[in-house]
Amino acid sequence: MRDRTVLHIEDNEYNRKIVRQLLSRTPYRLLEAADGEEGVAVAQRELPDLILMDVQLPKLSGLDATRLLRADPRTAHIPLVVVTSFALSGDDRRAMDAGASAYLAKPYSPRDLLTLIHKFLPEN
Amino acid sequence: MRRASATERMPPPVVALLASPLGALVRAVARIRASVHVKLLAGFLLFTRLFIAMTAVSLRTLTETARQTNLLDEAHERVGWSRQIEHALAMQMHFTAMALLSKDDDIVARILRENNRFNDTLARLEKAAPTEERALIQAIRGSQDDAMATVADIANAVRDGRLADAMTALRTRQEPLYAKIETLVGSLVAAEETRMASLRVSIAAASHYSLRVMAGFAVASIVLALLGGFVISWSFILPVREAHGFLSEVAEGRFGGTIVVPNRDEFGALAEHMNWMSRELRRLDDEQRVAAETLRSLNDRLALASRAKSEFLANMSHELRTPLNAILGFTEIMLDELYGEVPPTLREPLVDIQTNGRHLLRLINDVLDLSKIEAGRLELGVGEYSVQEIVEVVHASLKSLALEKGLAFTAGVSPDIPPAWGDGRRITQCLLNLAGNALKFTRQGRVDIEVRLDGEWLVYRVSDTGIGIPKDEVENIFAEFRQVDTTVTREYGGTGLGLSITKRLVELHGGRIGVESELGKGSRFFFTVPLRTDGGRA
Repeated sequence: MRDRTVLHIEDNEYNRKIVRQLLSRTPYRLLEAADGEEGVAVAQRELPDLILMDVQLPKLSGLDATRLLRADPRTAHIPLVVVTSFALSGDDRRAMDAGASAYLAKPYSPRDLLTLIHKFLPEN
Repeated sequence: MRRASATERMPPPVVALLASPLGALVRAVARIRASVHVKLLAGFLLFTRLFIAMTAVSLRTLTETARQTNLLDEAHERVGWSRQIEHALAMQMHFTAMALLSKDDDIVARILRENNRFNDTLARLEKAAPTEERALIQAIRGSQDDAMATVADIANAVRDGRLADAMTALRTRQEPLYAKIETLVGSLVAAEETRMASLRVSIAAASHYSLRVMAGFAVASIVLALLGGFVISWSFILPVREAHGFLSEVAEGRFGGTIVVPNRDEFGALAEHMNWMSRELRRLDDEQRVAAETLRSLNDRLALASRAKSEFLANMSHELRTPLNAILGFTEIMLDELYGEVPPTLREPLVDIQTNGRHLLRLINDVLDLSKIEAGRLELGVGEYSVQEIVEVVHASLKSLALEKGLAFTAGVSPDIPPAWGDGRRITQCLLNLAGNALKFTRQGRVDIEVRLDGEWLVYRVSDTGIGIPKDEVENIFAEFRQVDTTVTREYGGTGLGLSITKRLVELHGGRIGVESELGKGSRFFFTVPLRTDGGRA
């Protein structure tokens, strides 16, 4: 069985770097995209096992991208975690409405993110 | 703006009447420069004068009729007397003839008595008779005197036994005399009867005339009274109707119309004042319109600015968090030794970075929260929550800080509190703010959290043994960016927004917040929220 793939869609290089570092010691394969359009394209091509989606992205917003992926039967079932702005901003509700499986408020603790990833993709 | 004329609101007969010369008269009366009081008085005086004149004419007619009736009575009396004279004459003739037959002295005495009656009546008649009849009466008296002389002769002849002479005297002298007297009296009676007839005609005419005059006066009075009443009342009604229409327009909010009345009395003055009022109202209305327009455009610009601000804040929120996420994220994975073992000398500065990063995050959250509240864009996420859970979370997250400062920190919740309805995360934020503040401003002693149910209200209370708040600062403590003084900010940190945000959030729940404090001894902050909140908007 191939390694499980995580797609991280985030425009900020440093935040991508953190996740890259975080997953470097795990068996997950990491794919990255820097904007919403690219993220949707990679997801539809690679069909990852988990998607981490930032809420505010260039070209296509995280919420719109989420809706597109949920509308596509190939990607509709993939677990999708939206990284929202702020728990009290209302982004969390909007994310769940758009079809997210879970949400994580920014700034998040990398430890908490890893826990969440494990929840969706348990290591054997 | 020209108003509808008052005539458009009047019934057609009135409009027609006002268009007639009568209408001109109404306007002429209205234009008279005199007070309403004087006009009414003049009207009533006119009617009074008409009445007096009518009475005078009636009296004069009555007097004239009475005089003529009197004259008629007199003439009638005189005719009676004339008849008596005729009778006396007839008796006289009879007794004269008897004297020849009876040769009695007593007969002569009777003739003399009849003669006296004749003369008395004639004297009365003469006294009452009009001048033109005097001559006739003189002639009668003359003939009567002659007749009496003849009677004396006849009487002497009878006494002397000269019957033939007496008979001759009777036939040749006495009888013609009597015939003459009879004729004269007859003409007198005829004259009086003619006079009576003419008097009767004249009385009838006078009475007819008086009836006509009275009727004329009555008709004239009625017509004048109606005319006067109509003209005077309409000269008052017209301005009142105009004013009525005018005021209706004002009441409907149409200002600036003018009321036009011909009156130069109190109604004219009133109309002047109403026009003045109308101009003032129009001016104020225009001013108000301009002000409202200015306000509206200002409001539009403000709404635009507010929307721009909100969008900016929403973007800013994420923009600020993204680098902070990197700072805190890298610090954490370094401290978790994902990059390898961390030397003890580096661990402390890394923790310092983490502490300050978290503090910066709290500041950003507070500023954004308050901006949202100010913009009225903060909504409560209402749902069921557990008071016990909230207190546990707050206690757990601040426990380490209390421990660090060596403070006693307890939390107590009444066991009878049922599940509550409201925005649990915001209530947590409020309690966290109050308890966090209490720990921050307390150097030694204790901080206690207590929640109890008071009827339908939840009462959250945080007591401390901290520095306390001066009395004159207590009412400012919930205003934005307020800390007791700026040195407090340097020593204790914080944005000074926590209490202000807490107050707004409590008020959004429909509750209130308060504090009792004693400088140097400590403070007791409390807030109340309904056990069940419907939710609202800031």
